[in-house]
Amino acid sequence: MVIRFTCNGRAVQVEAEPEARVIDVLRDGLRLTGTKEGCGRGECGACTVLLDGKPVNACLLLAGKIVDRDVVTIEGIAGEDGSLHPIQEAFLDTGAVQCGFCTPGMILSAKALLDEIDTPGVAEVEEALAGNLCRCTGYGKVVDAVLAASRRMAPGADRGGE
Amino acid sequence: MRYLKPTSIHEAADALESSRGTILAGGTDLCVYMAEGVCQPETLIDISGIDSMRGIETIQSGREEATVRIGAGTTVAEVAASEALPDCLRQGAQAVGSPQIRNLGTIGGNVCNASPCGDTLTPLLALDARFVLRSTAGTRTVESEEFFTGPKQTVLDPHEILEFIELPSASCARASAFRMIGNRKGQAISQVNAAVSVAIVDGVMSDVRVAVGSVAPVPLRLAGLEELLSGKTVEDLHPANLRDAVLEGVRPIDDVRSTATYRQEVTVALVFDALAACGGQRSGQDEGAGAW
Repeated sequence: MVIRFTCNGRAVQVEAEPEARVIDVLRDGLRLTGTKEGCGRGECGACTVLLDGKPVNACLLLAGKIVDRDVVTIEGIAGEDGSLHPIQEAFLDTGAVQCGFCTPGMILSAKALLDEIDTPGVAEVEEALAGNLCRCTGYGKVVDAVLAASRRMAPGADRGGE
Repeated sequence: MRYLKPTSIHEAADALESSRGTILAGGTDLCVYMAEGVCQPETLIDISGIDSMRGIETIQSGREEATVRIGAGTTVAEVAASEALPDCLRQGAQAVGSPQIRNLGTIGGNVCNASPCGDTLTPLLALDARFVLRSTAGTRTVESEEFFTGPKQTVLDPHEILEFIELPSASCARASAFRMIGNRKGQAISQVNAAVSVAIVDGVMSDVRVAVGSVAPVPLRLAGLEELLSGKTVEDLHPANLRDAVLEGVRPIDDVRSTATYRQEVTVALVFDALAACGGQRSGQDEGAGAW
């Protein structure tokens, strides 16, 4: 069947079985390969996408469930001109990326948090990232990056840097 | 595979009756079983399009006692965030999986999968929850304590759908708390969990409910402990006083996550901690052991 939904702000339609996993629809159907498959069973969070603004595991989400809904992937958060999102900038500046496999999911979980709370504390950041596993860096720099991004994104913040 | 997406509970019940398909709610467990090949349904009935099964409301019908009604399709995240619900249920929901899992998974799915360690099950037992089951024949209501029959087994017939979870408003008025222990805070499966709800008037406890999970094939109420605590004061609470009654009720096993001995000791501590939280006490206290 044809699955119609909003992906990264654009109305899209893709041919897929309703029981297909959304991670496969995104990667194979739409060639949006920024969404990564790690464990394939909802434990690592590498496949995190935003569904109606909330982080979910695309490996546990079936295509039949996203009809007429809004999906955002890592490809959808940069500016129209290709400029990086402040969270992406903060991950680079803070050294929060090593192999990078978990990074798209981390950034989308962070975005969902910062869309809800302007200035989260460390505990709130850790809770928001509890479903995203990293096997390279440890989590310290990831948390630092999200806190740095929150300062840059706060109303009235100087976007020129720290 | 056939994929059906009914928009009403009646349509879903008809589809289930005629197809004997598998109900798909949030999919956070079912999709894992499908990926591993342990479950290969011929027909999936996705109930996420049934609006009447979403949300939390207080129902007052005639002279009957008011009830808080939770749609089985309400997400675990929505339960955790609802100020209309008692503390133990919100805390139990918050202990489920990760943010991503809580945004997809439903409370009805947590109940129907009936894992002995499900973190919303002990709160529902402690709150005297009732489950409203729908089939083409109509509805029937089952007490939460009678719903679970074994690990991943319930009284649900193949043609029935869990439609609503009802909480008597009296149980929602009691103080309540949930405690669990796992390997890490996020994304951890409970080695033991406990939920308590209790009415406390002038420091004296009554209507005590204590439910524990992961210490038996089904989540359990500890009737002996409830009886022991009734009429006692919160000041007299001490782990040493609870120990015998807790251990009498639980039947833990050694498994991949923990050992039976550890589970026994931790159950005593978690039940005490949850009761102390209800009584507004500082938890973990080690004084005041009185003989009952």
